[in-house]
Amino acid sequence: MPIEQPTAKKMPVNKMPIAEALRTVQRPTFLGITFDDAMHYFFRGNATVSILVLFLIVIFLFKEGGGFFSQNVQNLEIYRKAGLEYVDIVRTRVDNHRTLGRFLGELRTKQLNLLHGDESALAGYDAAVERFSVTIDEYQGFVSEYTEVATGIKEKFKIGLDMEVAKQNFQREGKFEESGKIVIPEIDFATETQIFRDSVPQIKVIDEKFHTEVNASLESFPAMPSVELQPQLEKFKELVKLHQEDVRTMEKSLTEWNWQKPIPWYETFTSFIFGRNWLTASFWQDWYGIIPLFVGSLIIAILSIAIAVPFAIGAAIYVNQVATRHEQNLIKPYIEFVSAVPSVVWGFFGIAVVGQLIRTVSELGVVSWVPFFPIAERLNIATASCLLAIMAIPTIFSLAEDAIQNVPNAYTESSLALGATKFQTIWIIMIPSALSGIVSAIILGLGRVIGETMVVLLCSGGRIQIPDFSKGLGIFFQPVHTMTGIIAQEMGEVANGAIHYRALFMVGIVLFFISLLLNYAAQQVVKRYKISIG
Amino acid sequence: MSTTLEKSANQKKKEEAMSINSLINPSMESMMTETKPKPIIEIDNVDFYYGATKALHGITLNIEPKKVTAFIGPSGCGKSTLLRCINRMNDLVDIARVGAGQFRISGVDIYHPSVDVIELRKRVGMVFQKSNPFPKSIYENIVYGLRIQGINDKKRLDEVVEKSLRGAALWDEVKDRLHDSALGLSGGQMQRICIARAIAVDPEIILMDEPCSALDPIATAKVEELIHELKTKFTIVIVTHNMQQAGRCSDTTAFFYLGKLIEIGNTEKIFTNPTQQQTEDYITGRFG
Repeated sequence: MPIEQPTAKKMPVNKMPIAEALRTVQRPTFLGITFDDAMHYFFRGNATVSILVLFLIVIFLFKEGGGFFSQNVQNLEIYRKAGLEYVDIVRTRVDNHRTLGRFLGELRTKQLNLLHGDESALAGYDAAVERFSVTIDEYQGFVSEYTEVATGIKEKFKIGLDMEVAKQNFQREGKFEESGKIVIPEIDFATETQIFRDSVPQIKVIDEKFHTEVNASLESFPAMPSVELQPQLEKFKELVKLHQEDVRTMEKSLTEWNWQKPIPWYETFTSFIFGRNWLTASFWQDWYGIIPLFVGSLIIAILSIAIAVPFAIGAAIYVNQVATRHEQNLIKPYIEFVSAVPSVVWGFFGIAVVGQLIRTVSELGVVSWVPFFPIAERLNIATASCLLAIMAIPTIFSLAEDAIQNVPNAYTESSLALGATKFQTIWIIMIPSALSGIVSAIILGLGRVIGETMVVLLCSGGRIQIPDFSKGLGIFFQPVHTMTGIIAQEMGEVANGAIHYRALFMVGIVLFFISLLLNYAAQQVVKRYKISIG
Repeated sequence: MSTTLEKSANQKKKEEAMSINSLINPSMESMMTETKPKPIIEIDNVDFYYGATKALHGITLNIEPKKVTAFIGPSGCGKSTLLRCINRMNDLVDIARVGAGQFRISGVDIYHPSVDVIELRKRVGMVFQKSNPFPKSIYENIVYGLRIQGINDKKRLDEVVEKSLRGAALWDEVKDRLHDSALGLSGGQMQRICIARAIAVDPEIILMDEPCSALDPIATAKVEELIHELKTKFTIVIVTHNMQQAGRCSDTTAFFYLGKLIEIGNTEKIFTNPTQQQTEDYITGRFG
């Protein structure tokens, strides 16, 4: 038949009957494994390895960081036993007195400005200031004297520790003879610290003299040449009264001080988590309090997000909703290109340009009415935040743009078809629908900013200090240090296993948890508020 | 983008106006003279482009008020494009432009630069193929069109919601859950919410772009019934793939093929005695 012939030709000649094919055809295997199985094992292996590595890293982090607390207990114990704590009770008062002295200095500068540099009217004031300043001298002498005593005791203790380590090393190597030779001297803290207890009466004498002299010096202050500054002088006098009250409580603290008083178990944690000092490699006492670093990181992150969000979200809305295709093709790659710039380059840029620019602007006469201008430091929170904002913009922009893109086109269309303007559509329909995505974009941007190291290390000023919140917005122009910055800066110079080393790991763990928390929050936001009901 | 559109439309206006009469198909002319009431929408010799592609070729047709006009034709024939031109939804497409011709509503050229597109869309409502209520409550969906006009008077809004939902034959089904999400409704209900939302702003014309294509037969029947009722108050233009639907609910039917208007006329006449061979082929299912 003429029609069937071509079909017969097209059919493969050797095609098996179906029953035979199902019974006999096997897939090629190698050692009993098909190619698909091999792929399956390969990818599973990859996944396992990455999870395992991640797990090991976390374990390592916790192992290294966890040792911090036991070492910190020792650190705090020696602080008490060697009498450092005792000396610090007095030192705090001396420092407070100095701070009050600076207040007078500032007041003098203001007065001098009002007098246009005429110093003659300030003679009486200066004499009184001098008189006030010297009242603390005897305390100062006391502190210097006993500082030496305390450091001496601490030094002895440290030598003992070193010997202990040496001894253990010998024992580990099996050299018991050598280890036997090392005799660790026992420190009798009771005798050593007797000198502090003996000094309490001395303090009493200084105290009485201090109060009479301070009172006399306060009375010797003449009225300020400018009447408008008089309230500030009155405020100073009130502060001094408070200071005197504080000094009176000192005697009680000193009497009650006892080197044997045990350190509460939680103090090793609280001194880290709530500690307001991060002070390392000091001749006196090391403090590992994360608060100044945490606050620094937080303020920088919040300010930079505050700067980045309007730009990033605005750009995302513009690019997605308003821009023409041509503009889209121009803007999107450019913003995403920003994230390709290495952070150290931004750091350079921050030091050389942004910091300088901020300071120059703050020195202009036009802005002299701003209370905290001109700023003193060119590297400060604002400088770092500006740069971090630039770095966060691509992250927030891309994710927010995706979120807006995911809003069904049908919403926009039907809103416009009902006679809504473009702006109404964006504001009432699009943003609420994309809100969960936008919020999670912001949270992830925050995570990016908190974890950023190089820029903050270079541009935040590197001063480990809780910024002075009393300065209002001026707080943003103070130098700080951050958690990431401190790790990068100090990790290279610490001894492996030392308390400082472990403290840095603890900071790393805190960072780890913050990142974890932010990522989790972002996920939850997306999951829970996928489509918001208004 | 819309300004260039308007400009080009404006530029060509004069010359087109001169040539319109000569271009009108004689059979079409006889059709126009047949229609007694003054048409509310006049589409005058329109060319429409997506980029360099010409999607509509010299379309000329009139739509009568308070009637249902159906656009039928195979996929890609330009019927949806034409529909979306009537409330200028094509403005949203960057590369789309009206190359020549005029759309007039009650005699006003809607692509003229002085025409506010927002006002136009308030007067020419639209229902889309995919039911697309906003992710808000039923109530908020209905009053959206009023809220964006700045109307926030609770009493007035309540009235409009009830009126619109009754108008969309949905009131009895949803009156107890007005403040639940509109996304929890069934497909047919969602589409009727969209219709209610469109009639809430009290437009003159409602455009429907394949409103039933995603609905099951029962929901479709309800929407068709609704269209029949709405005809008393609104002018309806409906695009449909479903020949029976066009036959059931429209008064006038226009058949498009490859961007050209092949035939327009009384639905009954088109379905029983079309003048063009292509129309007959399509209706009888020989292609399309």
